[in-house]
Amino acid sequence: MKALTVLAADEFKAPGLELFDLPPIIPGVTWFTKPVLLALLSSIVVIAFCWSAFANPKLVPRGIQNIGEYGYMFVRDQVARPFLGKDADRWMGLLLSLFFLVWIWNLMGVVPFLQFPIASHIAFPIVLAVSVYVLKIYLGMKHQGGLGYFKNMMFPPGLPKPIYVLLAPIEFLSNMIVAPFTHAVRLFANMFAGHIILAFFSAVGFWFLFEQLTPLGAPVGVVAVIMTIAMTAFEMFIQFLQAFLFALLAAMYIGGSLHAEH
Amino acid sequence: MPAMSEQERRPESDGRDFANAAWSVPSYILSGIILYGGGGWLLSRWTGVAVFTPIGVIVGVVLAIYLVYRKYGR
Repeated sequence: MKALTVLAADEFKAPGLELFDLPPIIPGVTWFTKPVLLALLSSIVVIAFCWSAFANPKLVPRGIQNIGEYGYMFVRDQVARPFLGKDADRWMGLLLSLFFLVWIWNLMGVVPFLQFPIASHIAFPIVLAVSVYVLKIYLGMKHQGGLGYFKNMMFPPGLPKPIYVLLAPIEFLSNMIVAPFTHAVRLFANMFAGHIILAFFSAVGFWFLFEQLTPLGAPVGVVAVIMTIAMTAFEMFIQFLQAFLFALLAAMYIGGSLHAEH
Repeated sequence: MPAMSEQERRPESDGRDFANAAWSVPSYILSGIILYGGGGWLLSRWTGVAVFTPIGVIVGVVLAIYLVYRKYGR
């Protein structure tokens, strides 16, 4: 909504960072902004969904249980099993929650009137990525030993001895710093960019069809509205994909900690 | 039946290796660039010879690709 009020001036101004700078909902409570409210709402949606789907399962699934089991089977077969093998079932609770939560977070970006992808504030994906990171290190030390974990990580077997001096730092940096960083940033950047793209095309359409309606400008406005619709569809695909990737990488990190490679 | 179960398991573990490799490559290459590119940059600042920075970046990428190749390539 804010993006549209920017256009009251004479000149078109593309929406930018002000899209993400939201005021507190209750004046004075500075932490309680729209993304926080939507994050709480998302948690409630996920809990309610899982509760109604899995709390009282029937042998022949119907209704919400049916949808829930499709989601469960998707996460189990595409996310958990490829990376965790026989340990997959033990981690389904975490992975399913992660997948559903991130997907609902992202979907908030296209729900009419809510229209804010929560992960476009980087603090939210960082919390999830740090949680997975702590879990990864804890599991690695538990299953491979405190020193063994780092030894297996930095000195994968099968390399010529002298080359370890050059490669061990890369392994360490990649596993300990770059991987968790990209885990959070990948989700954040996709949602951030997607939100700007949708806001941009909406703003162009609004400008040429309502603010400054001219014979030459109208077709541009029509194209922008069509683009808004097309990009919304594309964005919904990206939202699903990023939720899937987030859970997939979590499964990969957990799997890597449970068993040393080779 | 152990032979058969081993054969059944094989494609799955190959798939895991491939997926691990595919998702690790960007992270390794980025790490190689940061580490050796950064080292080259420091060397450039120290000696005043600018060419160390690009050399460091290239060495980092090459080492990262070599690492992925040795770990998952065969």
